[in-house]
Amino acid sequence: MSYELKVDDKETTDRAAGLSQGLLGTAADRPEGVLKVTGRATYAAEDMPEGTAFGVLVRAPAMGRVELGNAPAVEKLPGVLAVIHDKRMLRNPAQGMAGEAPVQGVAEADYVGQPIALVVAGSFEQARHAAEVMEVRCLGEIRPVSPGAVEPEVPEKKQSSMGDLDAAMAAAVHKVDATYSTSAMSSAAMEPHAALAWWEGDKLTVRASLQMLKYNRAELADSVGIPLENVRILSPYVGGGFGSKLGVSPEVVAAAIAAQQLGRPVRVVLNRRQVFETITRRSETEQHIRLAADGEGRLTGVGHDALVSNLPEEPFSEPVTQATPFNYEGAARTIGHRVARIHRPAAGSVRAPGEAVGVTAFEIAMDELAVAAGIDPVELRLRNIPAEVPGTGKPFSSHMLAESLNDGAARFGWADRAAEPRARREGEWWIGSGVASAFRVNMLSEAEARVVLGPEGAIVETDMTDIGTGTYAILGQIAGELLGLPQEKVEVRLGDTAFPPGSGSGGSIGAASTGTAVWLAAQEVRAALAKEMGCEPDDLTLKDGRATCGNISRDIAELISGESLEGHGHVQPGDASSKVKQATFGAHFAEVAVNDVTGEVRVRRMLGSFAAGRILNLKTARSQCHGGMTWGIGMALTEELVHDRRDGHMVNRDLAEYHVAVNADVPPLEVHFLEERDPWTGPMQVKGIGELGICGAAAAILNAIHHASGVRLRDLPATPDKVLAGLEELG
Amino acid sequence: MEVRFSLNGEEVTADAAPDTTLLDWLRLERRLTGTKEGCNEGDCGACTVMVTDEGGARPLNACILFLPQLEGKAVRTVEGLAGPDGSLHPVQETMVEKHGSQCGFCTPGFVVSMAVGHLNGRTDHDDVLAGNLCRCTGYAPIIRAAKAAEGAAVPAWMQDAPLEPRPSDAAPESADALAALYAAHPEATLVAGATDVGLWVTKDLRDIAPIIFLNRCADLKGVDVSGGRIRVGAMETMETLLPLFAKHFPSYAAMLRRFASVQIRSAATIGGSLANASPIGDNAPPLIALGATLHLRAGDDRREIPLEEFFLDYGKQDRREAEFVEAVSFPAEAPAFRVWKISKRFDSDISAVLGAFNIEVTDGAVSSARVAFGGMAGIPKRASGFEQALLGQPLTEEAMTAALPALDADFSPLTDMRATAAYRSEAARGLALRYVAEMAGRKEEVRA
Repeated sequence: MSYELKVDDKETTDRAAGLSQGLLGTAADRPEGVLKVTGRATYAAEDMPEGTAFGVLVRAPAMGRVELGNAPAVEKLPGVLAVIHDKRMLRNPAQGMAGEAPVQGVAEADYVGQPIALVVAGSFEQARHAAEVMEVRCLGEIRPVSPGAVEPEVPEKKQSSMGDLDAAMAAAVHKVDATYSTSAMSSAAMEPHAALAWWEGDKLTVRASLQMLKYNRAELADSVGIPLENVRILSPYVGGGFGSKLGVSPEVVAAAIAAQQLGRPVRVVLNRRQVFETITRRSETEQHIRLAADGEGRLTGVGHDALVSNLPEEPFSEPVTQATPFNYEGAARTIGHRVARIHRPAAGSVRAPGEAVGVTAFEIAMDELAVAAGIDPVELRLRNIPAEVPGTGKPFSSHMLAESLNDGAARFGWADRAAEPRARREGEWWIGSGVASAFRVNMLSEAEARVVLGPEGAIVETDMTDIGTGTYAILGQIAGELLGLPQEKVEVRLGDTAFPPGSGSGGSIGAASTGTAVWLAAQEVRAALAKEMGCEPDDLTLKDGRATCGNISRDIAELISGESLEGHGHVQPGDASSKVKQATFGAHFAEVAVNDVTGEVRVRRMLGSFAAGRILNLKTARSQCHGGMTWGIGMALTEELVHDRRDGHMVNRDLAEYHVAVNADVPPLEVHFLEERDPWTGPMQVKGIGELGICGAAAAILNAIHHASGVRLRDLPATPDKVLAGLEELG
Repeated sequence: MEVRFSLNGEEVTADAAPDTTLLDWLRLERRLTGTKEGCNEGDCGACTVMVTDEGGARPLNACILFLPQLEGKAVRTVEGLAGPDGSLHPVQETMVEKHGSQCGFCTPGFVVSMAVGHLNGRTDHDDVLAGNLCRCTGYAPIIRAAKAAEGAAVPAWMQDAPLEPRPSDAAPESADALAALYAAHPEATLVAGATDVGLWVTKDLRDIAPIIFLNRCADLKGVDVSGGRIRVGAMETMETLLPLFAKHFPSYAAMLRRFASVQIRSAATIGGSLANASPIGDNAPPLIALGATLHLRAGDDRREIPLEEFFLDYGKQDRREAEFVEAVSFPAEAPAFRVWKISKRFDSDISAVLGAFNIEVTDGAVSSARVAFGGMAGIPKRASGFEQALLGQPLTEEAMTAALPALDADFSPLTDMRATAAYRSEAARGLALRYVAEMAGRKEEVRA
């Protein structure tokens, strides 16, 4: 049997209120923590079977038709088993939730750095050497590599307009009309992508580092050309994803094909350069933002036009304006989206695709409006919070932006902030602070899970992944809560496509989607227990391994008399998403110091106040926000993929030159959650929290730079050279 | 070649090519996969291991550490941090409790760095962990974990003892032996700390054979402070020199704190950093400003040159066949010495501009000026015209401002992804003015 739920309507009853174990919402430790701190958690490339061969990708030095001049000679090198140049190999990774093969065919190189062959050898050194001496020629012209070099596509479905923005701008008392740009960025997850594949007959098993296994399974099956049921993917531990592991990537398909051809296990690990150059990047953006406001700072018009880039065949384009239809008031609204088709590595989802960059630019524009109107930036935002999605009449499922702004402002000490910029100087340093709102759409995704209750405790199974977010912890908390078991009595098994398909990790959907599937599965087990007890499920109390109903109390293990009870949960999104607008909200506050001599910026403190429905685990949720805010520091100050102007190759393709924030760049971060329940997201009233922390965080820093120093930067990141040039201009 | 060392308390023998890295050997040969590969070039710290020798325990990046460098030493990996009975090391316990591990991939490197810091009684966690990157946590939970473990006793099994190293043809044990060996094999690659040469192998896939390992040349180590000068053996690591610099040149020590991570500083030698002559190396400009002398040797021929004369052009040094750096010496006192590093990221970043100043004033006028910059030219370079312009002038903002055009004339910096040319020039001028302010008694807190 299965407990099914399609989320069509709101659920106002707090279903968790009647539960007794007290696990939900606590700051429980992650259960796999000990494995990780002792080095015993095995990632994709580890745990090699006997006889594993090693594959190293060969990549394109230019563009055009590929010729492997000396492949026969390379195949004769010591230890070399094969040079694989198979038309099924991937040119680009799959986009998130594609569920089918991405762009294949390595006879043609469409960007510099593209995978074109795999060399397999008995040892890693032999394979690496053979890949190095492979003579690769690409017989073609260099194709356009800069967004400015091409006429962008203007996809009709991604343009929208209501009211007359030009008229609103003409009539505006205060306005902003400016262009902002953000740099291309890399997920730079700490674990490089890796795959280990082997075949048993016509069955393929792959250990891989992937985020969304049910889609990845379909993508891999379609790429290799075998039935879905013959593919099993194992990703028990994933060393960070941030979007880079949403879709099946070149090393996975290459390993599968090589293992098939050679009849032995093959391991393919990308080195850091290859991760940078063959895995999806976040597109750079150029954003033209127009804001029209009346004398009180109330928005009458909003314009947001974005230019992003991707390879010609890629369906994804960074959804920069995703939050713009609902962020603030503004009757006249024009939203534009253009895509430059250029030949850099494929662009794809990176943590909070859309809002991470779109909200950031918009929130800088809002700060400019506040300055122009002479209104406090917190107050300006409070004045523009819409009661419903502007122009549509659609209500919000829940909306706590005002509360977030007020809560954050109070905790941050915003009231003490000088109204004017350049008001505080300490030695060489200008000190100032900034604010930005955080917006992120909230989504539910189909998910299934199984819960088995036995005498020793419960087991949760789903192919959901834990990419560091805390899935192992929260799914155990949910099952333990419903079944009256302490967390250590619940074993959570993830990352295996042999288990029921979960939602996968991405888009902040995991906790609400797969969590609800676990909730439903556990409810089915509860119902069976209630039946054993002879009572209604709602009258049943389960706590610390005991079932209580009225004046009857029994040990659960004894109640099920050595047998096990199984529940299956299945949740699907329903009409709720068309009835209401669902999003998460928050407010970022940052204090920075700007050096007058060198243009260096140091973030001195940051504070975020967030509302994302019920918080399932304070520790893991807070960590997600810390992580997101830290990414905001990187976006604001250091992170920037640099491409060669001539052939588009990535110049800073390593962790020395692509600057993720180091410890010393991160000041004390404060994260606060507002108590919220969203009735439109299912029985747990929970929303996603994995991405909200990055949305707008960089804007708070850029706005603080302006408040500190008077320098308004619209081109991220705010590196010392840009800041110093701005200081020079001010004199 | 065969190398014998202690691994997690047990004596092991590795037979591998001399350019085999400890990381590859651990993961592929020993199948000890707790130590992770995040970058394979010493940037991320995921491969940090603890190495103990007669100088004590230090953290090193296994990805750019060649096996022969380990002869006779004791290596402890993440697998060796928990006790024989499985009980966790205190830092492992606190990392779980404080939620310092999320995706877990950087975690082994962090816990080893923390465990070495814990063993050595260090509480400057921000410095101890500056060489470990994390993309999940924002670091604060990790720092809290390190702090929480401070008071816990060091587990007995963490006290590693090195073994007696065995002689090796590729690892001379004295400068004399090195001079003879190098003279016989002038085509050899010298490996000191391997923080640079390691990348030739792991990133550029170069064949660097034959290799001569310098780490066992006992007389290339040592510091001698006498007669108002300091002489430092080429094989002293930047980490062991840090206290010396802190005592004599606090400004240099503050820069060294950001020069590189503990893992890199614990491997990188002062001789190697000068001999490889990276145009963006952070050691040369301050040493030039201090008036350092480079002591070179080929066979039995020794010569001494002012350090700035060693750097001829981009990638080209005044180093003769079979010649190596024996030592570097410089004055023991330089109260007017200051150095500042500017980079995008606070730690683990290559300098956009690094400026070193040593301007002495006698009777109200500049009597000697040594100013050198990194990041402003293809080599670490003195600002000769600028120095001349300062001589005889008072050290005032006005006089300095008047001399700045000479500074512009000394350099034609490039625009690259680290900074624009205009920025480099402007920042150099700014540092010169900062120097005047500081010498006038205004103490700037540069960290903020």
